[in-house]
Amino acid sequence: MLRRGLLRAGQMIALSTLLGGTASAQDSILADRETIRQLAQQIRQLQEKVAALEAKQGSAPSTTADTSSVPASGDASASASQLASFQEAHEVRGIRWRGFGEVNYKVLNQRQPELATFGFVPGSAGNFYTGDFDLFLTSKISEKASVLAEVIIGEGDAQRFDIELARALLKYDYNDHLRLSIGRYHTAIGYYNTAFHSGKWLQTTVDRPLVMEFAADGGLLPTQALGLSVTGQIPSGKLGLNYIAEYGSSDTVRPDLDDGTVVDENNGNHVNLGLFLHPESVPGLQIGGSYYHDRISDFLKGPSVRLAQTVINGHLVYAAHSFEILNEAFLIRNAYEQGGPISNMPAFYSQFSRRFGKVRPFFRYQYVNTNIKSSYHSDVLLRHGPSFGARYDFNESIAFKTQLDHTIRKGKPDLDGLQMQVSFAF
Amino acid sequence: MFLAGLSLACALNCVAAPAHTVAVAVSPRNSVSNVTLGDLRRIFSGEKRTWQDGTRIKLFSRAPGTTERTALLKLLGKSEMEYKQFWTAKVFQGDAETEPIVLPSNGMQREALTAYPGAIILVESADVKPGMRVLKVDGKLPDNETYPLHR
Repeated sequence: MLRRGLLRAGQMIALSTLLGGTASAQDSILADRETIRQLAQQIRQLQEKVAALEAKQGSAPSTTADTSSVPASGDASASASQLASFQEAHEVRGIRWRGFGEVNYKVLNQRQPELATFGFVPGSAGNFYTGDFDLFLTSKISEKASVLAEVIIGEGDAQRFDIELARALLKYDYNDHLRLSIGRYHTAIGYYNTAFHSGKWLQTTVDRPLVMEFAADGGLLPTQALGLSVTGQIPSGKLGLNYIAEYGSSDTVRPDLDDGTVVDENNGNHVNLGLFLHPESVPGLQIGGSYYHDRISDFLKGPSVRLAQTVINGHLVYAAHSFEILNEAFLIRNAYEQGGPISNMPAFYSQFSRRFGKVRPFFRYQYVNTNIKSSYHSDVLLRHGPSFGARYDFNESIAFKTQLDHTIRKGKPDLDGLQMQVSFAF
Repeated sequence: MFLAGLSLACALNCVAAPAHTVAVAVSPRNSVSNVTLGDLRRIFSGEKRTWQDGTRIKLFSRAPGTTERTALLKLLGKSEMEYKQFWTAKVFQGDAETEPIVLPSNGMQREALTAYPGAIILVESADVKPGMRVLKVDGKLPDNETYPLHR
């Protein structure tokens, strides 16, 4: 009876300690951590006392004890200690932090040097670079409010590093149908940008498809913005319909792929509306689309020359039962408001992969076709080609990827490349 | 009165279930009595985060290798590694504050239901205890032959 009582008390204490760190407000987190240590110690002492009493009485453990569902106190205290260590390692005054990192090696057969991003040296026979080192922080302010921030230390030319605030959001989850965020975010144009963000470890391939590459690294879309985002579920039964609406300023600055000259699109305020389905009948399937509209400037033609930029996306994604199938298509439309040429620039990528144990081979085909007469993206022109490779997961936190690319470029020699990457989450 | 209440609780919870069926249990304070398999997937994949009355759903999980964990992975169509990576991504996407808390015993799961009105757990049917309010899944309790949640 004594043993059962102690076990139950230990169980309650251990549970309280396990849950305390996640449920309490910020102010109590440090106190909780200390409490966890103390309570774990108390459980050990109780366990020792029970063992001593049993030895003294020479009795077998009570057969009435509910041993099927009650843990050994040692397990509970060990678990509490493990959680305390984890919390201690990942929390600083109520801030939870995680990180992502990568080390890359890249070789291109480029005879005509192109853009160097992430520290890759254009025209080189091949070199190492670290890419992005990503620190991710969250903090719970109240039951429904929280803060999320993502700080990236990115490698530039000659191993110089700069710091970028990729995301900084104050979030408020009213319910499943209304989740508000305000701050700097990754725009929800399509699927890729909000599924993988900046964490290379999260994605199967070494790099992002060119159309979805971050604008600062040569991508075509306004991938980051500052403003308000609202998302949630729409009551739709088994259809699983969700919406997202964004209003903000995406000050896109994009380097020219050929010479690295930075071009500022001088965006206005954008509106982005998206709908996507998660049908209950096919778990893992997402079908959706988005409509993005903004006004950008063409200062080369005059101080007040403006273009209406529209980006339409459709996507079909399946990620379950070891498969990952990503398909996204885009139409980027730039039209001068005062009349003039209209550029319709299509792009798509399809990616297929399947996990076999720790190995996930993948294949991707991407296509981008921009207009030479367009004020923006005229450096890209027609580019398309396959990539294939494999990802090997050493464990749930470290992955090695290798990828071969073949890119056909209009007016330039084809480009072949080999990329290798070790990426990790911590 | 007390005995009648106990009998009712037992009728609801102490079901004679086939071996290795996994029950879905919530806090006795939760008014929900039935979930669909689709709801369950949404809940355990962090898509559905609140109950109908607005209470936040609190996810708990058993450790890898347990019957409950095996059933959870089967429900989500993921391997153990994919499950862990899925939750890392979920947190990074800002769609979850943390991965579900792993509890080392069913006794602690029971206490979690006591402590959190919005808690939901998976528990092997044979280990269901008073204090665990078992939900029907697609209208079926674990003793039903066509109950969908198995190891």
